[in-house]
Amino acid sequence: MAGLLAQATNPIIRWEYFIDEWDQIQRALIEHLELTVYAVILGFVLSVGLSAVALRYRWSAGPINGFTAFLYTIPSVALFAILVPYFGLSRITAVVPLAAYTLLILVTNFVAGFNSVSPEVREAAAGMGMTPARRVLHVELPLAMPYIIAGLRIAVVSTVGLVTVAAIIGQGGLGRLILDGLRRTFWTPMTIGSLLSILLALALDGIILVAGRWATPWAQRQKSVL
Amino acid sequence: MTVLAQAPVPRDVGVFEWLFDPQSWTGSDGILASLADTVVLCAIVMVVATVTMVPLASWLAHTRRGEVSVSWLVTLSRAIPTFAVAGLLVPISLRNGWGFEPWPIFIALLLLALPPIFLNTYTAIKQVDPGVVDAARAMGYSETNVLFRVELALATSVILDGVRVAAVTVVATEPIRAFLGGDGLGRYVRDGLGQNNDGLVVAGAILVAGLAGLTALSFRSIESVALPDGVRRLATTSTR
Repeated sequence: MAGLLAQATNPIIRWEYFIDEWDQIQRALIEHLELTVYAVILGFVLSVGLSAVALRYRWSAGPINGFTAFLYTIPSVALFAILVPYFGLSRITAVVPLAAYTLLILVTNFVAGFNSVSPEVREAAAGMGMTPARRVLHVELPLAMPYIIAGLRIAVVSTVGLVTVAAIIGQGGLGRLILDGLRRTFWTPMTIGSLLSILLALALDGIILVAGRWATPWAQRQKSVL
Repeated sequence: MTVLAQAPVPRDVGVFEWLFDPQSWTGSDGILASLADTVVLCAIVMVVATVTMVPLASWLAHTRRGEVSVSWLVTLSRAIPTFAVAGLLVPISLRNGWGFEPWPIFIALLLLALPPIFLNTYTAIKQVDPGVVDAARAMGYSETNVLFRVELALATSVILDGVRVAAVTVVATEPIRAFLGGDGLGRYVRDGLGQNNDGLVVAGAILVAGLAGLTALSFRSIESVALPDGVRRLATTSTR
């Protein structure tokens, strides 16, 4: 009965919490950011490798796509849980599944980006005497950039959302605030954890969008012409 | 908790020992009851999502009303932080006396299911060959008939694809409910983590992943049965 009463009178958010527990909020926020960055970097590196294989050996594109799609459909709770016996409640257990979920998004976009380069452009680059390595770096990569950035945006935003689930294995940054509030029937950390993780996703999305515009000025010019 | 309380699982319990023990499947807290819990919630979410989104998207696409930004919707569908949304809704629901379940998790899962169904229906109907639609109109089809017998018929497989994607995502995400004050199939992972029982954690993970896999498979078999006869004939005769 006391619990029910507490649930009813407990406000959704107590503003003093921000000042009193700022240390804890800050720690959760930084942990959330770290997990996101580690997972996306690991996913990015793996995706570059997988995409290179898929583009170089055409027959492997189907199996690679199937494999990454399979990883994507594994429930997050299950993937975190299955690694617990091997890595314990550690950061590795959190980062590996998070990185695995970025693969489908990143590989799909990387491959689409490089496939969008027209054969004429490739031939022209070869005709100008570029080595294959130079052609990939100086011609194909810039042309594929809008796709790469679009993939990165989706990967980062969805990872920020999934990091909260890692709270079930004691990681999870802001997700820990959510579970903490739930255990104590104290709603303020729950509300703050949820809201901040949504805001963090929006903020990171905006940063990558702006950085991407800055890195690909030609793409903007093309758009304004059309 | 009765089953678990009666037979507390030792830390080094074999995963399959627990899974193949009939005791873990029966009873009010058994696997079958949890499975039913999960399947019912997911089914309601899917029915609500399909019944609202397919008509809305097909009407918008048929009348060419409201230019929907497809790429924005794709991003949105991948970006919804379900755990955070449910976590935000739990306090609101409890303060209004609606309890832990089912509203917070229902709304969070519904938000997850809507975008793929809407997106696939909308793009599929928009991509129907305008020549075919004009031919149907010239043959005297009413607008309703054009929508139902031409556009929707040709779009069926893509729409079902969207429903499948939504269903798999919903089933794969539902286990977070066990960590937000509810039950369902995710409870064994939660209990295992709470009791420091790796065997139960892994067994729970297998159950959760198995259900998601089963959902994907069963939707694939529905897809092969549900296609309209004419479309199937088209697919087998044309070499496109």
